[in-house]
Amino acid sequence: MMDCKNFREILDLYVDGELSPEANVPAEAHLAECPTCRSAANRLQGLRQAVKAAVSQYEPAPELIHSVRKATLSSWQRRPAWTLAAVAASLLIVLWAASTPQFRGIAATTLEAAAFHLEDSRAVVMEGTLLCRDCQLKEKYGYRAMCPLKGHHGTLQTKDGKIWNILDGDASEDLIHNSALLGRTVRIHGRCFRRASSIEVNSYEVL
Amino acid sequence: MFLGRTLRSKHFERDALPHLPALYRMARQLVGSESADDLVQETFLRAWKYFETFDPTTNCHAWLFRILRNVWISRWRKTRLELPLADTGEEQIEPYYDWEGEFLREELSADVERALSELPSDYRLAILLADVEDCTYEEIARITECPIGTVMSRLNRGRRMLARLIQAYGDLNTSGSQPQTFVRRKT
Repeated sequence: MMDCKNFREILDLYVDGELSPEANVPAEAHLAECPTCRSAANRLQGLRQAVKAAVSQYEPAPELIHSVRKATLSSWQRRPAWTLAAVAASLLIVLWAASTPQFRGIAATTLEAAAFHLEDSRAVVMEGTLLCRDCQLKEKYGYRAMCPLKGHHGTLQTKDGKIWNILDGDASEDLIHNSALLGRTVRIHGRCFRRASSIEVNSYEVL
Repeated sequence: MFLGRTLRSKHFERDALPHLPALYRMARQLVGSESADDLVQETFLRAWKYFETFDPTTNCHAWLFRILRNVWISRWRKTRLELPLADTGEEQIEPYYDWEGEFLREELSADVERALSELPSDYRLAILLADVEDCTYEEIARITECPIGTVMSRLNRGRRMLARLIQAYGDLNTSGSQPQTFVRRKT
């Protein structure tokens, strides 16, 4: 049988619900018989509730919640819905544009330029025939060439049939933009970027 | 990388952010209203940084409170001087406090807060975790990194100290005399 001394030793555990079911039975039996310990348990329980009530009255400011969210959530999740809608619309436009021949031409040129920067080059002397790049693409792949509007774009075809893109530069301006040279055989001194199929022109001669 | 971060954000929002009000309430009792926001922010930044180490099958509430306690100890507690708890007596409990006297009144929130602020911080933390956050002794032991026996004695002694302080404030209100100070602290 539990006495007051034993109960007071486990009072906190009883009020905190930490007693095992087996230990709870004699504690409950003692409380049923002892008004003093029952009162002590009620007061301790009251103190617990008073602490909870005193502390729980405070709520964080919305600014704190906002700043924590801002610091921890990804930037994409924080964007308002209209921004995401705008991004989605832009993606659709890009996808639509990517399906057009003009876009593919621009992308090809861009990729070539990128490859030019990434690739090691070596000095070469190359001979070949000047042809219009866009007309070749039109002939082979159905590319909608804009030559009537923008003019021809010179490129070099070597004897093995390979087409070499001529990179823009002061020395290559005529080779690219002078339509009178189309069909002529030229010898180009410059640097060759094999993986980009491109030539950087230092000088050239029309043969 | 992007998907990983997005998923992490999603889980963080689901598991951690709902505990922000509870952490704020605790922070307010530990460092006061002026610094509570800073303590909460720093806690969440650290939780976010180490969120990948959090086991989602475990208790995020207790994990966050443990971080909050660590931040509090490293940044705030060391700036306050307290008399150390008596090491030899910490494991002892005080079974004979009689809990007599009507020390709990309807309008005692201010007295309770004042009394809480007078408690040694380890006692205060244990009481807040048990009484406000309904943590088990085992959770409190994990959060405060001490044995369960120490948790029990901190709760036991802290609550009795709290009751005496509230009683003393009640006496002060009726008699006008100064309450007995149980803990000397310098902030």
